Amino acid sequence: MDRTDEFLKEMGNKISEQIRKPKRLYFRVENKDLLEVVEYLFKKMACRLSTATATEVHRGIEVLYQFSHDASGCYFCPRVVMTDLKNPVMSSITPVVRGAEWIEREMFDFWGIKFEGHPRMEPLLAREHPKGLGHPYRFRRTT
Amino acid sequence: MSKNTIPVGPFHPLLEEAEYFTLQVDGETVVDIDLDIGWMHRGHEFISEQKTFTQSIYLVERICGICSTSHPIACVHAIEDVCNVEIPERACYIRTLVGELERIHSHLLWLGLAGHFIGYDTVWMWAWKYREPVLQMFEIISGNRNHYGMMRVGGVAKDVDPAAVPELSKILDMIEKKMIMIAKVANDDPVLKSRLVNVGVLSKQDAINFCAVGPTSRASGVPADVRRDEPNDAYGLVDFKVIVTENGDVYDKLVVRVLEIIESIKIVRQCLDKLANIQGPILNNVKEIPPGEGIGRYEAPRGEVFHYVRTDGTNRPIRHKVRAPSFVNIPTFMASCKGIPIADALITLAAVDPCYCCTERSLKVVDHNRDSLNINLLAASRTRTEEIRREIHGR
Amino acid sequence: MGWYNKRLAKSIWVFHVSASPCNNCDIEILDLLTPYYDIERFGIKLVGSIRHADVLLLSGIVNQKVGPMVQRIYQQAPKPVFVVGVGTCPSSGCCFNDSYNISQNREEFIPIDLYIPGCPPKPEAMIEGVVKLVEVLNG
Repeated sequence: MDRTDEFLKEMGNKISEQIRKPKRLYFRVENKDLLEVVEYLFKKMACRLSTATATEVHRGIEVLYQFSHDASGCYFCPRVVMTDLKNPVMSSITPVVRGAEWIEREMFDFWGIKFEGHPRMEPLLAREHPKGLGHPYRFRRTT
Repeated sequence: MSKNTIPVGPFHPLLEEAEYFTLQVDGETVVDIDLDIGWMHRGHEFISEQKTFTQSIYLVERICGICSTSHPIACVHAIEDVCNVEIPERACYIRTLVGELERIHSHLLWLGLAGHFIGYDTVWMWAWKYREPVLQMFEIISGNRNHYGMMRVGGVAKDVDPAAVPELSKILDMIEKKMIMIAKVANDDPVLKSRLVNVGVLSKQDAINFCAVGPTSRASGVPADVRRDEPNDAYGLVDFKVIVTENGDVYDKLVVRVLEIIESIKIVRQCLDKLANIQGPILNNVKEIPPGEGIGRYEAPRGEVFHYVRTDGTNRPIRHKVRAPSFVNIPTFMASCKGIPIADALITLAAVDPCYCCTERSLKVVDHNRDSLNINLLAASRTRTEEIRREIHGR
Repeated sequence: MGWYNKRLAKSIWVFHVSASPCNNCDIEILDLLTPYYDIERFGIKLVGSIRHADVLLLSGIVNQKVGPMVQRIYQQAPKPVFVVGVGTCPSSGCCFNDSYNISQNREEFIPIDLYIPGCPPKPEAMIEGVVKLVEVLNG
């Protein structure tokens, strides 16, 4: 049972840059609409958060959340783009999805992205690291 | 009562890997738990961006030594999702065969370690004794006990020798007999029951909130299994059951794993039967990988392995994200460990089968003064190993 | 130390230090203890505390975070203690040489006396490695 159409009907006005493939839907969401879309995916459609991926590309830093709809095997991937490379900030989804806590802390480690509303914004892997990891995945390293 | 802090780790006799827990206790009860990870961090995603796609498969194999074929399978699925390549039928069965054998050996490994953690070393020795024939099957199939190197984009690297199939079936029969015995033991062993029932309960709502995967969530009643939800490879062609239990305690996690071993044996047998009949190529050549994004996943022994690959048309990925199952299973400790005694805390920590590595010939020193005793030691070891081998296979 | 080492060689007690490995060498080390290989019959025993150990089995690339801890473990060990690097990682870094988190010079944290290469080394190879160590200890 493919629920992509149902999702597009409900949330179609909030999303852009759709890429639709069999069983995969990638789309862009503005930061202010993110929580609403995530709440719809997680609570209404009972999706499971697989993970979130940050990538630095030419237009800025992209964070791609991957939600898996287990009943149909579909993936819904909201993408948030941050253009401010010096001080990337976006809203946290941890208050809605408890399982995102570590995923967002890991991104804070590697990219320096600050998540507003996260209950515990501190490094995960680089905690008590003697030298500090820096932000190894950014194009220009800070260390 | 005042609260005390108990540090566990980074090097602790009970922990296989280096990790650091801080247990906040009130009397004997754990009230809070904090984890410090990163002792195993090696930066796979960073290295993978500098390697070609074929090299990447070698690299992701070394994320974890226990699920060392789940990561390559998920990785090749992700790359195949970008370039839409068809996989030959024989290769599908070989992939499923290797993946399921890995599930058997990993669950047996967990069963043994769980026995070790509750101080029941007999379970450890028994489970690991019957894990050894599975590693021998791997040696026959791929040539190595761990790190098989079987996966390629578009198929598999090595064919299963048809002459070896009867021997594989014979070993499998032996394992199945023993596994049915172990399932019976788990069903009515008073020690296991008194130690594990109603310990470290993870409720269904918590499993959903923490996005837990694999046996951890299936023991809590969440029927998610990638093998059924997205039947890649030969999973759509074979017959198997998804094991789900309701209680969510450590005992249920044990039951799920033991029953899954028996299901896996069923799948392996079906694959071996098919491999004896199906002929054909095992690898489709992939000429180029177009720009795009791909998601690949596979049900590893611990849960869903997730790989995301983003390409720009060159021979390297610009982003390769790996999410191992333990990364989402380990935070469930924060729900399941609260309010239980310290003695039960460690088995609860071990119950999700945490793999912190996921969340990441002999060289001679001196070759003279050879002592005859030591050569005998080595020879004795080999003779003894051969004896046990004969004893187990009855030949 | 010749006299002492000879006594040491009779029954080696090993402590297992996992310093960011891929887990594979670790399970192969545990495999040695189980009925199939059963090295306890040669007096080789895995101990829980570093204070009891004669030999450290080190596996993994020793990343920058775990390095100081490994150094502390080594300092706590009663001397003489011998360090065996199990697997390709302690000797060459395996495929992790390009990583930002690897310690390029593992010898600064812990001096390694014997390497057993292989990814992972077979249990037979590990037994042979320990036998080589016994040979050296016996002089």
